[in-house]
Amino acid sequence: MAATYHAEHGTLLERFFERNRGPLLVSPALAVLVIMNIFPLLWSFGLSFYRYRANRVKEPEFVWFKNYEKVLTDPVVWERFQTTAIVVTVDVLLQLVVGFLLALLFEKTFPGRRVLLMLVLTPMMLSFVAVGAFFRYYYEPTFGLLSQAVKAVTGEPFILLGSEVGALAGIIFADVWMWSPFVMLLVLAGLVSVPKHLYEAAEIDRASWWRRFWTITFPYIRGLLLLAILFRTIEAFKLFDIVFLITEGGPGTSTETIAVYVYRVAFQYFKTSQSAALGYILLFVVIVLTNLYLFFVRRRDVEEQ
Amino acid sequence: MAQLRLSGLTKSYGSVHALRGIDLEVEDGEFFVLFGPSAAGKTTTLRVIAGLEKPDGGTLTVDGHDLSGVPVKRRDMAMVFQSFALYPHLTTFQNLAYPLREMKLRRAEIDSRVRETAELLRITHTLDRRPASLSGGEQQRLAIGRAIIRRPRLFLFDEPLTNLDAKLRHDMRAEFKRLHREIGTTTLYATPDQLEALSIGERVAVIQHGRITQVDTPDRLYARPVDRHVASLIGDPPINLVRGTLKPSSAGAPAIELPFMELDGDRWREGLQALESGTELLVGIRPHDLALVDDGAGGVPATIEITEPQGDITILDLKAAGVPLRMVVAEATGARYTAGDSVHISLAGADTRLFLSDSGTMVA
Repeated sequence: MAATYHAEHGTLLERFFERNRGPLLVSPALAVLVIMNIFPLLWSFGLSFYRYRANRVKEPEFVWFKNYEKVLTDPVVWERFQTTAIVVTVDVLLQLVVGFLLALLFEKTFPGRRVLLMLVLTPMMLSFVAVGAFFRYYYEPTFGLLSQAVKAVTGEPFILLGSEVGALAGIIFADVWMWSPFVMLLVLAGLVSVPKHLYEAAEIDRASWWRRFWTITFPYIRGLLLLAILFRTIEAFKLFDIVFLITEGGPGTSTETIAVYVYRVAFQYFKTSQSAALGYILLFVVIVLTNLYLFFVRRRDVEEQ
Repeated sequence: MAQLRLSGLTKSYGSVHALRGIDLEVEDGEFFVLFGPSAAGKTTTLRVIAGLEKPDGGTLTVDGHDLSGVPVKRRDMAMVFQSFALYPHLTTFQNLAYPLREMKLRRAEIDSRVRETAELLRITHTLDRRPASLSGGEQQRLAIGRAIIRRPRLFLFDEPLTNLDAKLRHDMRAEFKRLHREIGTTTLYATPDQLEALSIGERVAVIQHGRITQVDTPDRLYARPVDRHVASLIGDPPINLVRGTLKPSSAGAPAIELPFMELDGDRWREGLQALESGTELLVGIRPHDLALVDDGAGGVPATIEITEPQGDITILDLKAAGVPLRMVVAEATGARYTAGDSVHISLAGADTRLFLSDSGTMVA
């Protein structure tokens, strides 16, 4: 009774505040989340079932799955998916390789390691806009560093972004440059968690470097590697900023990833509801990828026991 | 099979001198124990022999061949770590087969050797399980198995029983003896436990502060320790060290003045001859050499401070003329006394040793 004594007195409003202090304290954050995040999410989900263009005054018309049907049967969408698949595969693979090699390098102590590590981690902390702008100038045909360097050798300016393969390579290089340090951090965490005496035991057991790596080191970094793959795949799948800043999808549509395409459909062609449908298809793909990862992790846990 | 010889091995980590000149000879097929308190240099010695650490100075030979510059892989030794260092992601079978994989053996050969070793160590039932699911004793035996399966010329055991409970330790001590009898490989075994050292070693080296102070058989280590430090490391309960002064007795024979009695020095006459009278000595009295005597039978009066029953025996902590003494009596005898009781004790037995008070070396 003593504890609730307070609540029995005061005005109605005071009693309400007293009883609901916890929920009230959380409510501003919840409100922001709902207004800025959950509501638009549900709203756009609803929109994807209507025929609606944001630049027309026409009443939205409910059309069931027509938008999804249209998007999924559109050959352009499949082309963009293909472009995205190429970018994701090469991008993630390179990030893994580079990140892994960096981790092997930084696992050892050597003079200047701290400074070098800081420098290597910097790209990850830059904003996308900075990285995009930086590489755009870097690849610039007339005064860009890359072109100048090639010119010094061949005498001809080099237009990397002029060809389809060159443009893809330029984008992938920028993303690998930016995100390999992230993979490195995860792998490094795995590498340093390996007990040192296991390596000594392996040395006494005369194991080769290769076998030592697969039987001792790799099991310790496998989980973190999977996590790195998942994160980087999802991110690469959504790759937009760098592409938009460096090539805007060009030349032609050769570097137009699915994320860039969604942007175009929504804000250049103003097919609002169609882009919403495509957005949800993307979300679905990412959810599938995530669950695939969780499946692997669980299967590994079962194996361990 | 190998004969191992270390001479003048030194090793420092920064300002810490782990080894200050280790000289050691281990005979072919011998079970040799390196015994000393923690941080005495046992592990460093083994690691230097295995090649995991480079010594700062000194030489290391096996069968007369200098090992400096020989990589770990080609030293043909096996080591069991205190932490066992089992490969956590491999099964018992894979752990055992690990050292064999580099020997280019046929699959059937590997299989039969793994099974044979597992049989010998009684871990056959764990072959397809991982180390984490094995009991402490099974992990221990697996670690030994991984060492013996390759049939190396030298075994290095680094405190292999320290992480086990008392009962298991006892069983495993017997196991080590049995294994060594069956395999006969030269073995160097480091332990901080005197019971282990004395019970399984054919010869024992006492190592302290990076130096070897005595190499001897277990019984001689107990009976004739070279100095007071070795004397206090060996024997349980530890030896009583009592301050005394050498003085000539009335008959001209040497005698030692202890706070609670005068000790006839005739037994140590040879050792004492070189010493001047008045020399300060430490008299090492084994707890087993003290006996209770009836009042009025000429014993030294003492008071019981604490009684520690051990089951079969009882340790009595006494005070005689202000000097703490420990003695051992049969449990039935010990049960008759409680703290505060007055008793009379006498000194018997030939294991009493004399040490110089200042340097600690044994004189007789």
